[in-house]
Amino acid sequence: MIAMGGQHGGAGESDASDVSLLAFVRETFEAADPMPEDLPERIRFAIALRELEAEVARVAPDSESELATRGDRESWTVTFDSESLTIMIRVDENPDGTARVDGWIAPPRAHPVEIRRSDNSMTVTADKLGRFVFGSVPRGMARLVVHPPAVASADGGHDASAAGEVAGGTAGRVAGGKDAPLAGGKAVITPTLTL
Amino acid sequence: MIAVGDGVTARGNEDRDDSRGRIASLAEAAREGHQDAIGELVTELTPVLWQVARAAGLSAPDAEDVVQTAWLSLMSHLDAIRTPASLTSWLVTTTRREAWRVRAAGRRQQPADGEWLQSIPDPGVGAEENVVLKDEHRRLRAAFRTLPQRCQELLRIVAFVPRPDYGAVAASLGMPRGSIGPTRSRCLARLRSALLNGEGGQP
Repeated sequence: MIAMGGQHGGAGESDASDVSLLAFVRETFEAADPMPEDLPERIRFAIALRELEAEVARVAPDSESELATRGDRESWTVTFDSESLTIMIRVDENPDGTARVDGWIAPPRAHPVEIRRSDNSMTVTADKLGRFVFGSVPRGMARLVVHPPAVASADGGHDASAAGEVAGGTAGRVAGGKDAPLAGGKAVITPTLTL
Repeated sequence: MIAVGDGVTARGNEDRDDSRGRIASLAEAAREGHQDAIGELVTELTPVLWQVARAAGLSAPDAEDVVQTAWLSLMSHLDAIRTPASLTSWLVTTTRREAWRVRAAGRRQQPADGEWLQSIPDPGVGAEENVVLKDEHRRLRAAFRTLPQRCQELLRIVAFVPRPDYGAVAASLGMPRGSIGPTRSRCLARLRSALLNGEGGQP
């Protein structure tokens, strides 16, 4: 190990040996006190979500043991509670290794539902019974964001697909124009899940 | 762990200067609002912020919170940060300040001064598989613990930043700009001599 040499002691240490000793200090700390591997990912998440005015849902008490013991099971369910909504999801493994997410929202309304990751997101819209499906989702960390349903304008011009385009950053804020979807409350966001 | 270590040992000044140039262009893009650039900055700079928070004596969960808080407050201050060096400096300063605040508040733990030295944990059994390397790391940790606290914090932080950013780090450690190089050398000399003398009490 370069840094352990240190043969030429005294005041006249070459810069090169300082550099290699410092590299060894770094290496030792990386081994002894490693940064949690997923910390940068979680920070990116927090940054991506910082502008979203959202109510944070909690894992329902009944679901905690389910989450803790899910291990590598192919199918698991979890329920989240927030002040305004209950969200239940079932995650199944597709044959190609991706995940299928079936969800139910109560009380049932046509909420846009988003699976958000640090670098991308996908959105579907729940049906009138509060059901939604993501047929194929890459594995990994994600959070579920349930946006307020768009309120149909007087002529009924807003359908569910338009609501699906509500941008995360503006959800929950009252929009001005008469055609803009009116916010029916805050978005609800779940804690990070590993799909 | 071992692979990472070897890579780092092989890393020279040039690589680290490259890393600085990279941080410079990422910082520029981040100021213009590119999310990807921010994401990459998080990858590049979170490891040093982790060391800053841990060197301040925080528990791992507190260190995670503090590092995340620093990044989130950076997002509200991006406009005010003019150079890449000041970006690193801003993050280090904010992390350190927040770490001391959390530590003083003693929310989850408040190590007495003597316990500070234990903030370099011994890795768990089996954490390092390479026996020779493990022994060298153990010797370095033992020698490191004999250094004055100031030296420990300084070395632990400068080990994780590109050298041209030392000036920025000096400011965040409350040291005069020009003194960081000599202090670093002095601290490294003490570390080297502690290593040679087998200090730390291990045969």
